[in-house]
Amino acid sequence: MNIKILDSWLREYVVTKATPKQIAEKLSLTSVSVERLEKYGSDFVYDIEVTTNRPELMSVIGLARETAAVLIENDIHAVFTPRTIKSPKTSNEVSIEIKNDPHLVNRVMAVVMEVAVRPSPKAIKERLESTDIRSLNNLIDVTNYVMRAVGHPTHVFDYNRLDTKTLTIRESKKGEEITTLDQKTFKLQGGDIVAENDKGQIVDLLGVMGLENSVVTDQTKRILFFIDNVDPNRIRKTSMRLGIRSEAAVLNEKTVDPELAYDALLYGIELFEKIADGKVISKIVDIYPNKIKPKTVTVTQQQIQNLIGISIPLKKSQDILVNLGFSVEKKDEKLLVTPPSFRAGDIAIPEDVIEEIARVYGYHNIPNIIPPLTTAVIKNETSKFFWEDRIKDALKYWGFTEVYTYSMVSESLYEGPLESAVTIQNPLSEDTAYMRRTLVPSLLQVVTKNKSYDNIKIFELANIYAQRTNNLPDERLKLAGVLKKPKVSFYEVKGVIEQLLSDLGIKNLTFKNLERGGDGASVFVDKDYLGDIEVLDNNTVDFELEFSVILKHATLKKVYNPSSKYPPVVEDLAIIAPANILTGGLIESIKKQSSLITDVSLLDKYKGNRTFHIIYQSYTKNLTNEEVGDIRKKILKELKEKFDATIVY
Amino acid sequence: MEEQFLDLKNSALSLILDTESLTELEEIRIQFLGKNGELTLLFKEVTKLSAEEKPEAGKVANEVKRIIENTIKQKSDELTKKGKSKHQSLDVTEPGIKPPLGHLHLVTQAIREITTIFGHIGFTRERYPEVEWDWYAFTSLNFPDDHPARDDWETFFIKQQPDSKMGPVVLTPHTSSGQVREMQKKQLPIKMLNIAKCYRRQSDVSHTQMFHQFEGVVIGQDISITHLKGTLDYFVKSYFGKDRIARIRPYHFQFTEPSFEVDISCGICFGKGCKLCKEGWLEMGGAGMVHPNVLKFGGIDPQKYTGFAFGWGVERILMMKEGIQIDDLRILYGNDLDFLKQF
Repeated sequence: MNIKILDSWLREYVVTKATPKQIAEKLSLTSVSVERLEKYGSDFVYDIEVTTNRPELMSVIGLARETAAVLIENDIHAVFTPRTIKSPKTSNEVSIEIKNDPHLVNRVMAVVMEVAVRPSPKAIKERLESTDIRSLNNLIDVTNYVMRAVGHPTHVFDYNRLDTKTLTIRESKKGEEITTLDQKTFKLQGGDIVAENDKGQIVDLLGVMGLENSVVTDQTKRILFFIDNVDPNRIRKTSMRLGIRSEAAVLNEKTVDPELAYDALLYGIELFEKIADGKVISKIVDIYPNKIKPKTVTVTQQQIQNLIGISIPLKKSQDILVNLGFSVEKKDEKLLVTPPSFRAGDIAIPEDVIEEIARVYGYHNIPNIIPPLTTAVIKNETSKFFWEDRIKDALKYWGFTEVYTYSMVSESLYEGPLESAVTIQNPLSEDTAYMRRTLVPSLLQVVTKNKSYDNIKIFELANIYAQRTNNLPDERLKLAGVLKKPKVSFYEVKGVIEQLLSDLGIKNLTFKNLERGGDGASVFVDKDYLGDIEVLDNNTVDFELEFSVILKHATLKKVYNPSSKYPPVVEDLAIIAPANILTGGLIESIKKQSSLITDVSLLDKYKGNRTFHIIYQSYTKNLTNEEVGDIRKKILKELKEKFDATIVY
Repeated sequence: MEEQFLDLKNSALSLILDTESLTELEEIRIQFLGKNGELTLLFKEVTKLSAEEKPEAGKVANEVKRIIENTIKQKSDELTKKGKSKHQSLDVTEPGIKPPLGHLHLVTQAIREITTIFGHIGFTRERYPEVEWDWYAFTSLNFPDDHPARDDWETFFIKQQPDSKMGPVVLTPHTSSGQVREMQKKQLPIKMLNIAKCYRRQSDVSHTQMFHQFEGVVIGQDISITHLKGTLDYFVKSYFGKDRIARIRPYHFQFTEPSFEVDISCGICFGKGCKLCKEGWLEMGGAGMVHPNVLKFGGIDPQKYTGFAFGWGVERILMMKEGIQIDDLRILYGNDLDFLKQF
C-alpha cells in the first residue's frame, strides 16, 4: 500500500535540518521505500510504499517517528515531536449506549458532538488533496485528516439520523441489504460486521464504509464520532467480496493498533472544535475488552552478530530500538526488548528484533561476502538438466524453434475426458481451466496462429499432468514437436528422433505402427514406450516423447571399437518382397545371417524392389569371394523361406 | 665488375619482391632490362673489357640477367593469380548455404544464464512439483491460515479433495514451495537453485498467469546477511554488468526474517531517477534470512543453522536487462514466430 504525504506535514512531528532528498534516501534504505519525491508547489510530496506488516506507517506521525530514528542513526540531528494529549471536557447532555461483540470489534470509542457543517479551511483541504483524498466538508474531512495523521480510521454519523439510544454491533446475516454512502446497494453474504439501531435497521458497515441512511449531510447538527478497531480478517473478506477497497478497509484489514484509537478520538474532537464549532455533549464511550500486551523478547549479542554477520555494539542496538519506540533493558550481553503497542503483532522472536537493528544500522553498511563453498556433494554431470540442454541445442541446430505455451488449456485443447482432468477450481477464464495432458494440441495451436508460415518447425519441453487418487497429480516432462511443410514426410520426423537419441547414446529403437490406427509410429527404447509420431495430414507431422524414458536410457558412456585392418566388402542387393513385408524385418533377417555383416541399410526403394547396402568385414582376415558368396546364399535362403522374397541380380 | 653486377642484382630483387602491383613490376623491368635499363647499360660495359676478363664477366652478367628475369616472371604470375581470385567471377555477396538454425526461447536463454552464474559459486539446480500441496506452498512457509495469498483471487486451486494434513492442492505461486522439500532431504549444507514455472491469477502488461521464478536457498552454519548480500551483488554484476549496483532495503515476507527487497540501479538513467524507475532504482525481487519457523518445518534446528533465500522473476530480470526493449510481458507467451525468430 502507498501513502503520499507532504514534507511540511511530516515536519510538524519531526524537527530536523535534513533535506527532503536526504529524508527520502534514508527512509528507502532503512525503512520504507520512497518511490517518488516530487515538488508540490513550494512544498515536496513523498510517495511511500508501506509493507503490510507496518500499517502504523500509513500515518504522518508513524512516519515521523521512523524518520527521526533513521536520521539519528545516520548522524543527522532529528527530534520526534508527537502530539501532546489533553483530555477534553465531556458532558451528560445526551447519552448513547454501544453493545459490542468482542469477537468482531476489539475497541470502540465514541462521542456525541454538536457541530456546524461547512467547507474545510484551505490548509486542511490542501493537505488532504496532496495525499489523494477528496475534500467534502469539514465533518468528513476531519475523519480523513485524523486517519492520515494518526493512522487509525475513524467515522462520523449524523447522530439525529441514527435516531437511536443504542447501537448494536453484530454479524450480518445472509441476504441483508445495505446502501453505502455512495448510493450503491449490496446484498450481504453474512459474516460482515454491521451496526443496527433500535429499529433493527443496519446503519453501518463497520471498518469498510458508512451507509447512506446515517451519513452526515449539509443539514447535520449533531454527530456521533466513532472509532472502531475491527477484526481484520472479516474486513478483508467483506471488502474483497463487495469490491469496496476504501482507504479504511485497506488499513483495517492489516490490523490497526487499538491504542491509536484514543489519540485519534482526541485529535478528532480537537479538530471538530477548531473547524466545525464542535462541542462535546456526551461522555466518551471506550469499550476495549482485550488490551494489547506486547511480548518481551530477549536478544543476545551473539544472536545479533550471527544473523547480521558483523559485530554491532550492544549499546548502539539499544539506542536504535529506543528511537523506534521500543522499551529496552540491557542485561549483560542481552537486551530485553518490549515492542510498542503498534508493533505488538509484528515482533515476536529475536529475528524480528534483529531485523530492526540491522535495517536502521543500514544494510548498505554490511559487507558483501560470497558464501563459503561448503557443499561437497558429488554431483554427476549428467543431471536431467544436462540432457534437457543437450536435446534443446540439438533441435535448435536442426532448425527447430522452441516455444513456451501455457500449462493450462481449454476444454477443446484438453482432448480427453474432462472428469479425469486436473481441473482448476478458480481459472481466470474457461480457456485456461484444465492442466494439459498432452503438449501437441498447444503446439498445433501455435502452428495455426502462425498462418503466414509455410514451413514451421517448433518444439517444447514441458510438463503434463494426470490425476492420482489421494496424491498430488502426476507431473511428467514431455518433449513434443511439430513439423509443418508442404508434402512433409514421416521419415523427416523419424530421422530427427533417431538422430537425437543417437546423440544421447540411446540404441535399440523400434518403431511400430500406431495401435490406434492412422499414419504414424509408436517408438520404443528396448521395451519402454517412448512416445508417438503422428502424421496429421500432408503437411503436418507431430511427435511427443516421454522425457523420463529418454533420461533412463541416455548415457555418456563410450566404447572404443578399433577399426579392422582388413578392407570391407561392399555390395548392393536388390530384393523383391511382398509389399506387406516391412523393411525393418528384412534388415534384421539379413543381419542375423552372419557376424561378418557389419552394416545393412536401405539404399533405395522402387516399386516392389528394395535395394540393400550390405557391408561385410572381418577383424582377422581378408574376406574371399567364396566366403561372401556363402553368406549371400544364406541370406537368399532365409529371405525366400521367411518372406517369399527373391534377389534380383 | 662482378661486384657491380651483384649489387645490381640485389637492388633489383629487393624492388621486385617488395612490389604489389603489376604496373610497378613493369616499371622495374624497364628500369633494369629496358633499352636504357641499368643492366643493359652494364652489359655494354662488358663489351669494353679485355679478352681475358670478358668470359668471366659475361658469365656473371648472363646469370644476373637470368635471375632477374625469372624473379620478375614469378612475381608477375603471383600477382596475376592474386588479382584473379580477387576480381574474377565468384560473387561473394551472394548468400551462403546455411545449415538449419532454430531458436531457443528467451526464457530458456535466461534460465541457462542464471544457472551458469549460480553454478560458478556452487549452487546446484533442483526441481520440485509445480502442482503442490498448500502445506509446502504456504503453511510450512509460515503463512497464517488467513493470509491474503491464500485467497482464491490470488492463487489457483485444483479441484481435488484436500488432504487432512497437507491441505488443498494449488498451482505453486512461487518457487519458495521447494524450500522445505529441499530441507527434508536432510543433506546439509544446502546450496540450491530452483527455477520453475509459477502461477498466479494475474494477467496484464507486466504479469502473465504462468511465469518463471528462480529461487536460491543457502543453509548452513554461520550463514548471515553478509552472505546474502555477497550473493546478490555477484549475481547482479554477472547478469546485468559491472556498472550496475544492487541495494537491499527492508521489506516484509512471511517466510524470511529479516526480509529484503532487492533493487538494482536503473540501466536507463544510472541512478539519477527517470520515468521508468523509482528514484533511480528498479525492484528486482525479494530475499531474506530463512524464518526460524520455516527451518523447523523443514526439520532443521534454527539454533544450529541459519540460511538465506531469494526468489525473483525470470521474465522480470529478462526485461530489466539493458536494450531488450520488451514492453509487454505477455508477448513472451504469445508464440508469434516473428517474435521467437528474433532471438
